[in-house]
Amino acid sequence: MIKLAKKISIKQGYVYLFLKVGVFLLLAFFFDFILGSFLSKFYFKQTSGWEYRTKFSIEDTKADILVFGASRAQQQYNPLFFEERLHQTCYNVGRDGQPIFYYYAVLKSIVKRYTPKMIILDIENEVFKEDQSSYDRISVLLPFYKNHPELHSIIEQKSPFEKFKLQSYVYPYNSMLFKIAIGNTEFNKKRNIDINGYVPLTRVLDEQIRNVDLSKKYVIDSIKVNLYKSFISECLRANIKLYIVCSPYFFNSIGSDTSMQLATEIAKRNNIDYFDFSKDKLFLNNSKFFDDTVHVNVEGSKIFTNKLIDSIIFKSQKQ
Amino acid sequence: MLLLASGIFFYMQSNPIYIFIPAFIILITWYAGIEIEKSTSPQKKWRFYLLAIIVNIGILIFFKYTNFFTSSAFDFINFIRHKIFTTTATFNNNLLINVIAPLGISYITFQTIGYLIEIKRGNYSAEKNLGHFATFLLFFPKITAGPVERAHHFLPQLKQANAFKYSNISNGLKQILWGLFKKLVIADRLSIYVSAVLGNAEHHSGISLITAVIFYVFQMYADFSGYTDMALGFAKVLGFDLMQNFNRPLLAKSVTEFWRKWHISLSTWFADYFYNPIAIAKRDWGTWSIVYASFTTFIVLGFWHGANWTFIVFGLLQGFILTIEFITRKTRKNIRKKIPAFLNNIAGVAFTFSYFAFSLIFFRAKDVSSAFTIIKRIFTIKGTIYIENPSIIIFSLSGIFFLILIEVKREYFNSLFSLYNNKNWFVRNCYYCILLMIILMAGVFDGGEFIYFQF
Repeated sequence: MIKLAKKISIKQGYVYLFLKVGVFLLLAFFFDFILGSFLSKFYFKQTSGWEYRTKFSIEDTKADILVFGASRAQQQYNPLFFEERLHQTCYNVGRDGQPIFYYYAVLKSIVKRYTPKMIILDIENEVFKEDQSSYDRISVLLPFYKNHPELHSIIEQKSPFEKFKLQSYVYPYNSMLFKIAIGNTEFNKKRNIDINGYVPLTRVLDEQIRNVDLSKKYVIDSIKVNLYKSFISECLRANIKLYIVCSPYFFNSIGSDTSMQLATEIAKRNNIDYFDFSKDKLFLNNSKFFDDTVHVNVEGSKIFTNKLIDSIIFKSQKQ
Repeated sequence: MLLLASGIFFYMQSNPIYIFIPAFIILITWYAGIEIEKSTSPQKKWRFYLLAIIVNIGILIFFKYTNFFTSSAFDFINFIRHKIFTTTATFNNNLLINVIAPLGISYITFQTIGYLIEIKRGNYSAEKNLGHFATFLLFFPKITAGPVERAHHFLPQLKQANAFKYSNISNGLKQILWGLFKKLVIADRLSIYVSAVLGNAEHHSGISLITAVIFYVFQMYADFSGYTDMALGFAKVLGFDLMQNFNRPLLAKSVTEFWRKWHISLSTWFADYFYNPIAIAKRDWGTWSIVYASFTTFIVLGFWHGANWTFIVFGLLQGFILTIEFITRKTRKNIRKKIPAFLNNIAGVAFTFSYFAFSLIFFRAKDVSSAFTIIKRIFTIKGTIYIENPSIIIFSLSGIFFLILIEVKREYFNSLFSLYNNKNWFVRNCYYCILLMIILMAGVFDGGEFIYFQF
């Protein structure tokens, strides 16, 4: 009798538990949906800041010329010179700190909407280095997961659980609350000048040039290499003129970087024009053109962008 | 059986071959426990006891401390050669071994040692069921970072039929949620700033270093207590009560009180099996027995954390302040009578927090000289505070504020209105949903592992 009562009580306990868990899940889904929709609305309403630039690059830009890369793209290529000299619209979709996953994702979204005429891809040393933080940084693309199926395969590289986490409406905006809030004000516009995606740097570097050994070996991430190859083949397939560029550095390189070697080899194999400004004497002899050893300042950017345009014009005339 | 299988499976995730190490420890300790209890001759009892203790400590020393001892010995020999024999030649340490300490080895051995001591003292009887004994040591929620559970607390629970209890599951899940919150929203968020600053201390100003050190205290607490909450929560869901490990230590009014509230399972272990026996053995020394016991206990406790001089300095600092607090207890009591209680409390909490934060500089640093570099820079290098990303600071400060708010509420106003344990089911669950939303919105999902996993 006691055993039977115990059994019934356990059974009732389970029913009680499942009911409560069910109601709790409904409640959690409701909270998630409301808060997620609220964050989404304000995310896509931003008018300035990094997140706005990503949103504009993925969903809005229609520029003829696009500049891809990380900070060395964003802070060194001034689109106004391209527009002035090549008579085509230009937007700099580069984003500080972002690796190849980001460039490829933005490209995939763009070619789905329209076909740009020219793409400039800035690559830097260690671009293919295996590094967990590159995967973590895919998080900036999470808000686009739900409406951009073309990005799923890239975003899911972040972790094996990403597609499960992305069932939440709030999770895509993880850690973005304050950025979204600021992006909906005028604060960023006052803080950072944004010229068609180009963010000029204004400091002047005051130091002697030093030697940097680039020959150190490191592990190459094959996923990154494959994305780079895919980036090239996507451009070739859409018949977009692609230029791969290594912009100036302010150090004397000893040996050569493994990633850079690999990137140039792949570019050569695909008949892609590659411009290397990393050993350009004009820049190596003038620290005043730099903000730090890896980024040119506004003055350096003016010279560098024009030199690159000269090279592009020269190359296209030759062809 | 299922619990044991899940424990073994969990253990084998790190390195399958390493399962033989706890298996060996379990067999030896289990057998020795029975023999100690069974033996009528004190010599035989002592022999089994000693054998099992040597095996346990030997394994711990081999995996965790061999490199430290050999390196220190070689450093000492080279130092003597340089200073006394003025030779520039140095001996290279060829005895370094390339092994990774097995998962949770410090926790497992401390639990087995505690078990053996209790049987030897005759306080508890030896466990006859090998499966139960193995489950006690390989219970998966506590394998990696404790609590350092006591056999006599855990084993009786194994023998009871763990019938389904709604309250256990509900309370366990709540505790897991709160642990997740502490880990993802507070600890991992703070770790971004702490790693950026303390990891590159030579590039940062004094104010940035102070901020990082303060953040580190909260990170450490949120990380470790967050892990403990999750472990206790999982155990509760399965119908087990594990030892409490934290009791709002950051609100302790003295370092002595702090160690009663921080990592309770380890500090009580040391009190029962190390501090008290030493203090009793040396009671003829009077006050000095306490001083001696404090220093010895905390040096060993520091060393338990890892094979590095930084942990020994950390332990020494604790031993030092506990001694000072013990010697000055009467004077402080007299002073306290003349000062309003709330001022006393604030001063006590502030001092304890500051002292613990200071000692954590050694705990966090990779070596003693790096710790001194940080301390020197704190007092000498002026400059602005490092803020690479303002939102990290805002999230960090919000997390700390929320943690303090909850801790103060639970410490001083526990009987007041509670959302966490509200009588109204809807209010309570809305609160859990909000916690969940905050985790999704502000948690760091790419964060590192728990700090105490390494110990």
